[in-house]
Amino acid sequence: MKGAHMTNKMARADKSVKTDSPHTAGHADATGGLGISDRTDMPNGGAAPDGTRRRYWRAGLLRGRIELRHLLRNPKELSGHLTNVVVALLIAGYVSDDVPGTDSPMAHLVIAGFAAYLLFQIGLINLPQMLVTEREEGVLLRLRATPGGIPAYLVAKCLLVVVTAVGTLALLLVIAALLVDGPLPHGPGGWLTLLWVMTLGLLAVVPLGAAIGAVLPNPREALALIMLPTMGLLVTSGAVFPITSLPVVVQQVASVFPLKWMAQGLRSALLPDSARVAEAAGSWELPMVALVLTAWAVLGFLLAIPLLRRAARRESGSRLTARHRKAAQSGAMPA
Amino acid sequence: MTTLKRTSAPHTAPPGHTPATPSPTARPIVQARGLTMAYGDTHVLHGIDLDIHRGEVFALLGPNGAGKTTTVEILEGFRQRSAGEVRVLGSDPERGDDAWRGRIGLVLQSWRDHRRWRVAELLTHFAMYYPDPRDPAELLALVGLTEQADQRVERLSGGQRRRLDVALGIVGRPELLFLDEPTTGFDPQARHEFHVLVERLARDEGVTVLLTTHDLVEAERLADRIAMLVNGRIRACGTPSELARRAAAQAEVRWTADDGTPRRERTEDPSQLVWELHRDAGGPIADLEVRRPTLEDTYLHMVHRKADGADGADGTDVVVDREAPAV
Repeated sequence: MKGAHMTNKMARADKSVKTDSPHTAGHADATGGLGISDRTDMPNGGAAPDGTRRRYWRAGLLRGRIELRHLLRNPKELSGHLTNVVVALLIAGYVSDDVPGTDSPMAHLVIAGFAAYLLFQIGLINLPQMLVTEREEGVLLRLRATPGGIPAYLVAKCLLVVVTAVGTLALLLVIAALLVDGPLPHGPGGWLTLLWVMTLGLLAVVPLGAAIGAVLPNPREALALIMLPTMGLLVTSGAVFPITSLPVVVQQVASVFPLKWMAQGLRSALLPDSARVAEAAGSWELPMVALVLTAWAVLGFLLAIPLLRRAARRESGSRLTARHRKAAQSGAMPA
Repeated sequence: MTTLKRTSAPHTAPPGHTPATPSPTARPIVQARGLTMAYGDTHVLHGIDLDIHRGEVFALLGPNGAGKTTTVEILEGFRQRSAGEVRVLGSDPERGDDAWRGRIGLVLQSWRDHRRWRVAELLTHFAMYYPDPRDPAELLALVGLTEQADQRVERLSGGQRRRLDVALGIVGRPELLFLDEPTTGFDPQARHEFHVLVERLARDEGVTVLLTTHDLVEAERLADRIAMLVNGRIRACGTPSELARRAAAQAEVRWTADDGTPRRERTEDPSQLVWELHRDAGGPIADLEVRRPTLEDTYLHMVHRKADGADGADGTDVVVDREAPAV
């Protein structure tokens, strides 16, 4: 009897913990031993009622606002976001040619490329790093121990990412327009393209970044692990110079990843239509942009949900202690 | 700090707050039967039984690696047990939902989260998640952090940080508070302040506390009941005075025999033995000494046996020097 029970428990060990409500059947195994009723004296045992859910949303939005304020007051982190803007402006100010075969200035292509890269970086570098760091410090565990904490955390992170993305992008475009005669969308159609490419682009990289953040070991290794492939993509995606000047194989590899399509979509929004002759396909391929970005978004969500759930479930005090001990030994964090 | 100094005044009286005397019908707030944790063939917990009643401070006392953290993490719903029945606030912790989470509070030793947040800002934020939170300002006064309200969390001392963790742990008015090795690494002053805070929570706020510690003095000072956990088994459980009585039950009588050899004998009735010795000798006994072991003697003896690995009659016992990995 005991043996059978044990196997049963062991078999469950891999499955998610908190899926069933306490009232579901199949719970009979637990009632027998203690001889106590399975009635839970919870005020609201089932799904969270509307009031509760509203409270969690409010907490999440407020949390996002506070995190944003902390970001704006942290010179180190803020400069990380602004460096790209500055680099983009410097390069744009430096190049004076036109995009080959067109009368659009090369600077505009650079600005559009960096705009795409900004989104890409926020989703795939900043977000995973933030997740890993906060996991290591115990933020995730604290929120896991708080009712509604994990949903609120996700709401806050989404808010933070969207505001950071819109903010840096706006900053880049406005400063570029003022200082180096940078590109702005042409007409309502251009703005609309900018909006949907940006939205789809974020959807393509943010869930993916969350999935990466859920599996990376620690903040120190995390940066090294993500930085290299991202830089590689920046160069090969035609973000900063026309993709047609790259070998075909490299173009094909780069076109699997979302950065190329984000850059292409933003170019279509920011450059005049005549500039499309410089594209590899001779057109903006907007349906393809939408398709690839959507595919990445779907993939990202499929990966992120189970991985984030797993990461939150695995958090416990002893894991946290073990990580801190390891970090202290490697001298990265005060003991 | 001023608040804490003020609250320490009542403790000129003995620190024993009213021990919880549960009515026979009241269901324990924590129940465990045959709680077992095994990783493959390695058993970390061997069928633990626990009952913790509403309103009491319960200490799980044991050396490092005894299984305290594993036990507590199972009760907190952070770890899946291998076998046994567990009920915390009427639910299986593995199936605890948000409403259940809202009824327990946690204070872990390794939290260093939200470093950039300000103290009051953080506490006010976490109050938002609960339907009926405590007032953050009152709570800061309770844990003696009113003066630090606008400070960044990263600038708090170790003791202040842990008191903030307590404030965060009880902001949602939990019925049960877990304190995992709360005073590890504290200096005596911080430790004392923390003890006063826990006593106050239990006495004035009626919070049920499950405390883990490897320090017998801390357990004796704070707990209504103590369970000694050594090598994954509960070796003794009771009020501090019960345990002390039990420890002292077997007195050791020492004397020097006529031929000059030192002798010792353990007995439950030292008076009888001494009387017999006198009767047999027909006079005084040289170097006669009756010694009752203290609770500390007993505890150290248990811990010592564990360290020697001498405990393992059934062959399943192992010495676990580290906390087991999480699943």
